Amino acid sequence: MDKISYRHLPRFDHLESKTIEEACSLLSEYKGRAKVIAGGTDLLPAMRNQEVTPAYIINVRSIPNLDYIHYTDAEGLKIGALATLYDIESSPIIREKFAMVADAASKIGTPQVRNMGTIGGNLCNAAPSADTAPPLIGLEAKAKINGPNGERVIALEEFFIGPGENALQADEILTEIQIPNPPPHTRGVYLKLPARTMVDLAVVGVAVVVTLDDKERSIVDAKIVLGAVAPTPVRARQAEDIIKSKAISRELIEKAAEAAAGEAKPISDLRGSASYRKKMVNTLTKRAIRQVTALA
Amino acid sequence: MKQQIQLRVNGEVYETAVEPWKTLLQVIREDIGLTGTKENCNMGECGACTVLIDGKPINSCLTLAVEAQGKDILTIEGLGRDGELHPVQQAFIEHGAIQCGFCTPGLILSAKALLDKNPQPSEAEVRRAISGNLCRCTGYTKIIEAILAASKKEGK
Repeated sequence: MDKISYRHLPRFDHLESKTIEEACSLLSEYKGRAKVIAGGTDLLPAMRNQEVTPAYIINVRSIPNLDYIHYTDAEGLKIGALATLYDIESSPIIREKFAMVADAASKIGTPQVRNMGTIGGNLCNAAPSADTAPPLIGLEAKAKINGPNGERVIALEEFFIGPGENALQADEILTEIQIPNPPPHTRGVYLKLPARTMVDLAVVGVAVVVTLDDKERSIVDAKIVLGAVAPTPVRARQAEDIIKSKAISRELIEKAAEAAAGEAKPISDLRGSASYRKKMVNTLTKRAIRQVTALA
Repeated sequence: MKQQIQLRVNGEVYETAVEPWKTLLQVIREDIGLTGTKENCNMGECGACTVLIDGKPINSCLTLAVEAQGKDILTIEGLGRDGELHPVQQAFIEHGAIQCGFCTPGLILSAKALLDKNPQPSEAEVRRAISGNLCRCTGYTKIIEAILAASKKEGK
């Protein structure tokens, strides 16, 4: 892996956008030669490695009022794409009602990076290991996307196309993440296995969201989402089917964890081998399901 | 290509002409001449370039200078007035938390930001607050001791 990192950034023109429309129209004008910058925590290192060398950088952090965190009982949580990871980690309403999302945000990078990095950036960068992705997908989040022709909303699960590839057209930007209120008796947890310390990327990330019955003895619905073990975050649907509509038992959880490990398609890289990652999917899935069901 | 920008650093306004691809780190060190902030990994992983923007620790190596306008930037030179050191600086000296000193400016600013928000942090909170500042010399023990000691001194 021969990566040279240069001290200096390559040259570019810097453009400020004051509105979503302006950002989209600039992206349209400079199609293919422009990149959006928000926190810059993924873009600038990639530029120093000369992985990306945009002729134009469009600042979207200059768009006001895109960093909100709004909650209503009716519509759930709406997070503006420019909300920083720190905003999310420390938001009282997210910590109270969507704790696994705050937890995932808190597990990314360093305090400095979390002060700068945005949730929009974490998702749009579309690293297979993106920590905010598995919890949000597990909560059935949607992504609101704005382009020159208006806006569209897609399931976040469909936002990831491949490593570093998202579903945005060249002239679109992500503007909002929508998380519906989960049904009662729903619990979720995100477990991240880092390479060494939390500052590192995830070697394996597992989000489990279960909805229990009224007596909290069986699992009515389950979402198991794996990160860093496939080209994109993936649902472990076979594992989900194993525990759905069943009474909770040790054996069931072990079966599900084994199925999840089978559904993982990891690569071997400097952070871990494929076989290690599969084993860790098993371990973390087991741990996560136990955590959300044992709380009963 | 160069853009005229104004940066408010340590309470003073500096006017300079910079290209868009200059980072805040480069401008602080090379244009303004404040070399307390250090260049190291250039990737946002080590924290040697840490400055406070509006009270929050950020990596100046990942900040474009043109985007840092209109904000309050604090570098290590902004601490300690009239020859009096900030309590965190004093504590670092008293507790042997400095060896080569390269990580020190960034660490002190991260610590100051923590104590400004959380004057009585637990050890775990201190560790988390400095988790973005790497030190190759000290092994962190004295650093954590110093920050906790400074928090007790400031203890209001």
